[in-house]
Amino acid sequence: MKNKFKALICVIIPVLLAVAFNTKFGSLPPLLKFLNPFTGFWQNAEKIQVKQQIRMKLKGTIEPIEIAYDDRMVPHVFAKNDHDVYFAQGYVTAKDRLFQMDFQTRYAAGRISEVVGIKAIELDRYQRRMGMVYGAENSLKGMMADPKSRDMINAYTEGINAYIHSLSAAQLPLEYKLLDFKPEEWTPLKCALLLKQMSATLAMGSTEFYMTNILQKFGPKVTADLFPDYPFKEDPIIPAGTPWNFKHLQVPQPPASFTEKTTGNIRTKTLEDGIGSNNWALAGAKTASGYPILANDPHLNLTLPSIWYQIQLNAPGLNTYGVSLPGAPGIIIGFNDRTAWGVTNVDADILDYYQIKFKDNSHQQYWYNNQWKNTSKRMELIKVRGSRNETDTVFYTHHGPVVYFRKPEKLKLADNIPTGHALRWIAHEKSNEIMTFYLLNRGKNYTDYRKALTYYTAPAQNFIFASADNDISITANGKFPLKYKDQGKYILDGTDPKDDWQGWVPAAENPTVKNPERNFVSSANQSSTDPSYPYYINWEFSNYERAKRINDMLRATSKATADSMRIMQSDSYSIMAQNILPALLSKVAIAKLNATQKEAFDIIGSWDKSYRADAIGASIFELWTSRLFSDIWSDDFTDNNSPMQYPSKDRTVELILNDPGSKWFDNVNTPAKESLGDLVNESLKYACDSLERKFGPIGKSWEWANLKQTQVAHLLKLPGFGSKRLMIGGAKGTINALNESNGPSWRMVIELGKKPKGHGVYPGGQSGNPGSPFYDNMIDTWASGKLYDLYLMSSPADQQGKMISHLTITKK
Amino acid sequence: MVLLIVLIASLLLQMVLPWWIIVIISFATCGIIGKTGKVSLWHPFFAVLILWTGMALFQSIPNNNLLVTRVAQLFGLQAWWWILIVTGMIGGLVAGISGLCGYHFRKAVIALKSNTKV
Repeated sequence: MKNKFKALICVIIPVLLAVAFNTKFGSLPPLLKFLNPFTGFWQNAEKIQVKQQIRMKLKGTIEPIEIAYDDRMVPHVFAKNDHDVYFAQGYVTAKDRLFQMDFQTRYAAGRISEVVGIKAIELDRYQRRMGMVYGAENSLKGMMADPKSRDMINAYTEGINAYIHSLSAAQLPLEYKLLDFKPEEWTPLKCALLLKQMSATLAMGSTEFYMTNILQKFGPKVTADLFPDYPFKEDPIIPAGTPWNFKHLQVPQPPASFTEKTTGNIRTKTLEDGIGSNNWALAGAKTASGYPILANDPHLNLTLPSIWYQIQLNAPGLNTYGVSLPGAPGIIIGFNDRTAWGVTNVDADILDYYQIKFKDNSHQQYWYNNQWKNTSKRMELIKVRGSRNETDTVFYTHHGPVVYFRKPEKLKLADNIPTGHALRWIAHEKSNEIMTFYLLNRGKNYTDYRKALTYYTAPAQNFIFASADNDISITANGKFPLKYKDQGKYILDGTDPKDDWQGWVPAAENPTVKNPERNFVSSANQSSTDPSYPYYINWEFSNYERAKRINDMLRATSKATADSMRIMQSDSYSIMAQNILPALLSKVAIAKLNATQKEAFDIIGSWDKSYRADAIGASIFELWTSRLFSDIWSDDFTDNNSPMQYPSKDRTVELILNDPGSKWFDNVNTPAKESLGDLVNESLKYACDSLERKFGPIGKSWEWANLKQTQVAHLLKLPGFGSKRLMIGGAKGTINALNESNGPSWRMVIELGKKPKGHGVYPGGQSGNPGSPFYDNMIDTWASGKLYDLYLMSSPADQQGKMISHLTITKK
Repeated sequence: MVLLIVLIASLLLQMVLPWWIIVIISFATCGIIGKTGKVSLWHPFFAVLILWTGMALFQSIPNNNLLVTRVAQLFGLQAWWWILIVTGMIGGLVAGISGLCGYHFRKAVIALKSNTKV
């Protein structure tokens, strides 16, 4: 008996060991599965020396494909037909970025619990309830309806799957080993999900609840005064005075005011400040070469792997280079032999909440147009790792999904969502954005550009364009709902058909300008047009500061070169400082400052208003003004039961400059009557004190880069997998709009001409593998404000770039 | 002898099978030819320690230890070679314990058989 027991123990112990070290506990990976050098993470350590020639046979290709990798591992794909070129794009993108593609689309689809377990369940519910999958399914219908985009997506999908099928356990990307799951088959729906996630990133903000609360508290007069529909200082994208060459549609009239506001305790998600972008194009008249130059730098959250992937695509009728989004075929921002194009976000008001009146708690019917209308139900199955699956029911009105009836407690994202309201969002529409890029990639001239834009729905972008024919143009482009003025500035009435979107602005009537007299076009997320444009796009856009600086510089430019445009992209001069610093300094009571404050006052007085890495004045100015703005508004606009937003920076600057005696400067919570001067002095002292507390006596440690602490983190925020701290300049509101973790995610300058010359960089590397030398190799070049030459090659043997590896794919 | 067999078998079989094949190899080898408990513990231990450390270095050196440095930071360790030591030690320990269990399993089974004979 004793021996039987001993024998049993001797078997159980090794089995337990094997199981224990092969199992994931909490966030700890399965230890020996992860650490063993035969299939674990060691296998992801790539040789620094790249293999020069690789030949492989793959099912699904039609003719041989040649791929040349340059010295930054950018693939230059040479194929003999459209199918093969997108197949190869899918294959090489997956080879470098599979985990990122998989994770981002799982995130979009609300399927994170499937891999990390119950802790992500609220996040998944949020994504489902916002209608992300619903929107992607609608989008996919649009993409599959056109044979060109359908073939493109199918070929891309096949290419990704060819790579996934070739993977052994040892070759799985590192993050799969860490989280212990396996990649699944790619589908066209995932391409659509990825584009929806872009829409969510760029166009999911909403302020209508804040605005509704403000309207209730202060009434229409004050609201209109503090939250005007057009800013005090502006420099619109379409130059003021540009004629509108169309007879516009009848613009709808607003219904009798909708005043029953029951938003309750809701905080809306406002779009992250700093998500914005710059682009500009100069006509040949302003450049040294006589041909246009186009520049673009989209600002996004900076992560490793980078959100962008560089690639050249070459096939009959197609030769283009630029950045793609891993998970979507084609090139989003780039150039070809004849043209160049880029994008910035429009900030259109294309997300609205409707207050819904339900008949009863079953939510089967809601009141609309004086009758009860049926809701429909959509069941969302959420799989949960290590736990029971759950089914979430979402009710849909004709507006869209009712996001929440009861707010989840633990999800920060969802603190923002109003209960019982239906979401109307452009990203739920059927659409085919892919087709826009298909056509832009092949575009030869201005006419092709205009045609490509008609296919685009969301997120609305300012598409900038330049061609070798010496045409430049910019169009605020997307599918814009036809609305009455300010429709959606406040919560809308879900029972009134007059509050529905009333159709669409015709694509040809979107704001656009071609070859303006000033010889340049530009955008930086500011107002699309001046108030003369007949349609309503939004009541509030990004502050004009970046745009103003760009336009000032471009007006003064002549004989521009790629290098002068590159230097402009790293410009960090603050228009806000230019506007208000003199007024603020004049109000400082110098006699009442202590030694540190006095020194700070002197430093900021001689500051050149640039957020350079070593500027101490920038640190002081930043803290000073943010404290000042909060001093001005927090007393009036803080109410825990009815959250609000502060008036804009633009309106605040206007008050400081033009209305220094305004009643808003008084703090209503104190018996004394404060003046602007009191607040200016209090906030300056506060800024100096907090810098001193944090960094010690005034000196080198007060420098802007040290306060800002920029870092590019891994997608999953894994320690050790991000970049080092980068001591670099730039700030929100300057052209180089770089804050802690958000900024220029791709900088590109294209010189058009007989043969175009491209220059570009993004903060990361082509490989998504943290074990690759090409994971973060471009960060230092990016941080120093330099650009690489981009090679638009004519054949795989083209000698203009240094090629380090060749991949040949033939049919199996 | 045990050391050599475990080392070679582990090298070859891990090319195609998951890591836990070392548990089976160590158990079986010591269950058949493990002469003493000491041999059955230490031979598989050193076999896997040597094999895994060697293989890890073979992967990591051409990589300039780029990845293992990041992984060390992920686990909150100061230097990359800590990961190398942890890898070798845990792998070796699992193999050693499996070997020891194999040896004692054989002893128990032999005892059982002789008991039934009596």
